[in-house]
Formats: sequence, structure tokens, C-alpha cells
Amino acid sequence: MTEDIHSLDEDEFFDEVYSFQHWFDSVEGYLHGTRNGRKSPAAEVPSEGRRQALITILCNYCVGETAALETSSGLVLIAPNRPLKVFLATQVVDEARHLEVFYRRLSELGVTDPEAEITKRASPSLLAFKRCLEEMVEARDWDAAIFAQNVVLESMEYTTFNRHMAGTDAATADMLSRILRDERRHLGFGETQIGQRLRHDPVLKARLSKVRAKLDPLVLSCFSEALEAMEIAPSERPELAKDYMQAMDRLGVK
Amino acid sequence: MTTASAREVGVDPDGRRRYELLDDTGFDEVPKKYRKFYRRWNGAGDELAPNEAYCPVCKVVVRSSRELRDGDKIYCMACMTRLVIRVDPSGRREAIARY
Repeated sequence: MTEDIHSLDEDEFFDEVYSFQHWFDSVEGYLHGTRNGRKSPAAEVPSEGRRQALITILCNYCVGETAALETSSGLVLIAPNRPLKVFLATQVVDEARHLEVFYRRLSELGVTDPEAEITKRASPSLLAFKRCLEEMVEARDWDAAIFAQNVVLESMEYTTFNRHMAGTDAATADMLSRILRDERRHLGFGETQIGQRLRHDPVLKARLSKVRAKLDPLVLSCFSEALEAMEIAPSERPELAKDYMQAMDRLGVK
Repeated sequence: MTTASAREVGVDPDGRRRYELLDDTGFDEVPKKYRKFYRRWNGAGDELAPNEAYCPVCKVVVRSSRELRDGDKIYCMACMTRLVIRVDPSGRREAIARY
């Protein structure tokens, strides 16, 4: 008989969902039988204009995923307890997988030297955001780093990937849909961690507001560049920032 | 009331409707044994049944074997968030993230 998930007590619930076993049993559902992060057999090569735009978008996804990979692995070291270290280890695996499948897709699109292409096409705002994350990890600032990575960066990625999926080729959309399933765990983890810390540390809210004030212009610029590459009308963009704004509202970080 | 993946099977002593959650909603993001507690939100036109709530964090639908009422605590396993149900005076049911 299936256990009623809603009858678990809170400690049992978190013991379960932050475990490696849980990660394994979850990703099995949507990654089993995939190749290069997707199930669709053939990868289309779009028209030249669209191919160039897609390469730029994927290069920037690689920057974001590299930032998340490096930050998550750095956070394993400074996480305050074992379950959080284990969860972050699963996130490291997820981010490495995302990076790999984006590289594979770039290769299918004819990119022979992804590193050079990324250097050429990376958004300055996204690189600046990545540097901020690195500084937070170097300073061993758990709260700021989890906030910046698992709330801010993950919200941005979630919205961008979701919107991108709706208007791209089938192979890229399938790959993104499986990445989004991972992102749900990452952003929920971040919001819960920060929400819990804010309950016990009222001073933290003001500090995270300062972090947000520093990151917001970079986030908006990254959003704007990504949506422009996707040819999304400016009128639609405020609607897309809604998820990010709602996450900030839920946490009360103004 | 029967939805695609749940069937009403009776009423509890406190008047709440009870549901049998059928096994497969097509939701593949949690371990098999928990999949029936979740389903995808199908966008505009989708409607929540009395035993369902929309997760504000990750936008999936969380399902319970009982009608959800104000103050009920549920879990979104897809994003690992604890939620509490709030019902406003107009009867609108909402899940709120609780930390």
C-alpha cells in the first residue's frame, strides 16, 4: 500500500526528499531511456538565423550551468549539516548533466569549439552574476550564496527555459523539459532554506535585500538578453519576470 | 465526482469527501509510489478538484485522498516544499508555502 505523503511528519519528509535515494528514484522517471538528455530521436538543425540565435542562447545556458555547478559544489563544503550536503551533491550531479547536454546540443548544431564560442557569446551581465556567486562561496557566505543561486538564478533559469521550450525545435524542447524537472527541486530547496533562515534571523532579510539590490540589474539584463535572442516581444517580458517577483514576495525580500 | 485520475469514494465523519487516487497521472518527477499525489497543471481551462491545490513554488498540482480544507498541511514533493491550505471568505482555496 502506498504511504500517504501528506501524513509524513516534517522530519520524515525532509529526510526522504534530501536523500540521494530520493533523487535517484525521482530522476529515473524522466531520464531513464534518454540520450543526450532527451528522448526525441533526431535533432533538427534550424535555419541559419535560428541556428545562430540558438547557439547564443545555449552558450549562455552553459555559463549559467557552469556557475551553478561550481557554486553547488562549493556549497557542499560549507553546508551546515549532512542532509543539506547530500542534497547539494545531487544538485552538483544535475548541474553537470545540464552542462553536458547543452554542450552536446551545441555540437549537433555544428559548433566545433564550444569554449571559444561561449567566450565570444557570453552575456557580460551573466558573467558578472557568476563572479558574484564565486565571491559569495569564497567568503563562505551560505545565506547569500543559497539565495543568489537557488532562489535568484534558479528562478531566472526556470522562467527562461520554460518560455524557450514553447518556441523552439522539438529536440531542444524535450531536453529543456527534463532539465526543468530538476530545476523544481533546486528552487524549492533554496526557497525553503532561505524561508527557514529568515524565520530565525530577522536581520538576514535586510542583508538579502542588499544582495538582491546588487543582483537585480544583472538579472533583468540577463532576462532581457535571453528573451531578445528568443525573439519574444518586449510587451510579454514583464509577465515572464512574474515568477521571480513572486518568489521574492513570498520570502519578503524587497 | 470523478476526475481523470481520482474517484470519490465516500465522506469522512467530519463531512470531508474522500477520494481514491488512481495510480498514474503521468507525473514522472517523484518516486513511483508517490506519483499519484501529483499531476501537471494544464494551464488556462484546467480546474482544481476539491482534493487538489496548486503549488505556488513549482506550479504542479498537489493531490490528497481527502477534500482539502483551511489549515490542512500538505507537501509538494516535486519542489520539496511544505504547504498550508488557506480558504478565503469567497471559498477560494490557495496553497501557501510555509517554511
